[in-house]
Amino acid sequence: MSRRRVVIPSEEELERRNTVGIQAEHISNVQATDFPRHYPGEDNSWNINKFRNGFRVQFHKNDPLEASFSLIGIHAAVANAFRRIMIADIPTLAIETVFIENNTSVIQDEVLSHRLGLIPFKGGREGLHSFLKWYKRKPNTATDNLGVSDDHFDYNTVLLRLQVKCTHNEDAAEGERDPRKLYHHAHVYARDIEFVPVGRQARYFSGADAIVPVNPDILIAKMRPEQEIDLSMHMYKGVGSDHAKFSPVATASYRLLPAIKIVEPILGVDAEKFAKCFPKGVIGLRKVTRQEAAKQGSGYEGHEGELKAVVEDPMKDTVSRECLRHDEFNKKVKLGRKMDHFIFSVESTGQWESDAIFLESVAHLKAKCKTFEQQVINMVR
Amino acid sequence: MSRESYQVPTGNSPTFGGSAAFPAREFIPDSSASTMFYICGDCAVRVPLEKGAPIRCQKCGARVLYKERTKRMVQFEAR
Amino acid sequence: MAPRSKTKTETPQGAGDEDAPMSDAPTSHQPTTEEVDESMADPDEDEAVPEAENEEDMLPEEVQRVRILPGSTEHAASFEFLEEGHTLGNALRFIINRNPDVELCAYAIPHPSEPKMNVRIQTFEGTTAIEALTKGLRDLQDICDVVTDKFVDARQEFASGVTA
Repeated sequence: MSRRRVVIPSEEELERRNTVGIQAEHISNVQATDFPRHYPGEDNSWNINKFRNGFRVQFHKNDPLEASFSLIGIHAAVANAFRRIMIADIPTLAIETVFIENNTSVIQDEVLSHRLGLIPFKGGREGLHSFLKWYKRKPNTATDNLGVSDDHFDYNTVLLRLQVKCTHNEDAAEGERDPRKLYHHAHVYARDIEFVPVGRQARYFSGADAIVPVNPDILIAKMRPEQEIDLSMHMYKGVGSDHAKFSPVATASYRLLPAIKIVEPILGVDAEKFAKCFPKGVIGLRKVTRQEAAKQGSGYEGHEGELKAVVEDPMKDTVSRECLRHDEFNKKVKLGRKMDHFIFSVESTGQWESDAIFLESVAHLKAKCKTFEQQVINMVR
Repeated sequence: MSRESYQVPTGNSPTFGGSAAFPAREFIPDSSASTMFYICGDCAVRVPLEKGAPIRCQKCGARVLYKERTKRMVQFEAR
Repeated sequence: MAPRSKTKTETPQGAGDEDAPMSDAPTSHQPTTEEVDESMADPDEDEAVPEAENEEDMLPEEVQRVRILPGSTEHAASFEFLEEGHTLGNALRFIINRNPDVELCAYAIPHPSEPKMNVRIQTFEGTTAIEALTKGLRDLQDICDVVTDKFVDARQEFASGVTA
């Protein structure tokens, strides 16, 4: 028997395999099939060089609070792992315990505590990422008379304080109705929270590196004269899988790049109508050139100078499938999504830079695999 | 102050029936112990109230009074 | 605010093991208690810190979080991962499936309230299940390296394009 022939699929075939089909009422070709023994004679085994040659990153936006980029040539399982890690496994610092000395405002203690927990904070990156460690509750540690155990140190606990009292403003104008002018501290904002450095924290979190709310204008409570909030808080490091307040991202999501394929020419009034089926900028209108009109079998014969619809920027498409509702376009266009083109959107809550969150997620997955590689060796031993 | 000295009534509380062993006087040693402080809902002043006194702020006459908050620290999880 | 003390003697982790279905299987590798008995007699910050930091570094390595399930053979084995979920499970399944010597690879989370993830690997003669698992873990690390490199390059390029 002769050696098995190695089959190399055509570009067209590869494109077909790589596109999720989107029809009016259903989707097709959703599963990746590029694994060994799926297509007879093809070599789809894993090869890091093949991956390296096919993989690209394209940036669309890179601001501290919002980044958008495309990972092209990667599989959904890995892209999804990065997304999941960004949301649930990257540690941040957040308020975990609230010690309320006094709260005579109308907002209840537990509600107030919950609101405080959700406020995102920022601070010196070195201190946050390398100096601060996990707080681990140790069993059988002594507690003081307030029930606070003495396993809190400057490297695992950050102390915050909030002390505000609402008072009358004697300088308010006659007949003033606005409570913010009529009283002092009628509104309690995140900026009223005060960071109390302990031990070496003064070194890592001073000046511009101090631990402060990302947004100073977050409203915590409203008060009236003689009402008072007096509390202190402990912040710990935690991960999003424990509580959403620890998640470093507001959103971390991806979508697949839409693919619009115009199979038959769409001309004239139809082209304008076709463009209106999509968001602005997705479909462009061009004049049919002489060469195109001269070409037999192109569908443009005798239409020189008329407008034709062309795909300009599929990235802007929302894949509303509006065009499939019109019979005149139904056969002329094919909608789909590129299976290996992930348009990520990462919005940071402010403690990390958005792009750093992604890099951290990659590093986290690698560390995870490394740990388990060693653990598999230990397991066999 | 007065709240801290509050005692939990026992089963044979003299208030309900009364017993020779526990005369009512023992539960109300002096008049100040029976005085409770409330917070006026209108002017936020501390209002002392005797047992049976009309529920009314002595300063502004408002009839909505609130209980005082505990003076102990209360711990919560920010979740 | 003193913590409430329970009167009954209790086994914090052991209680869950009693109604485990696989009585023949070795008990969970989960740590029964945090093996921390380092005496922190002196809570003075500056002195206690180095000691505690060492402990932080060492602790995660001590717990064995993967084991081979009973009934496994050289070429067909099931592995149980503790404290792992779809994040690693699906990525691992994907990469191991791209190994031509692997006949089947699948993962499952048997019960959502148990922090366990099982991976099944069946291989042809060319390799063993354990080798396939190790190769998968290594390939994933390679992917991470490539992604990091290309991401940093693209970011650099984007930044220079924006400023220029």
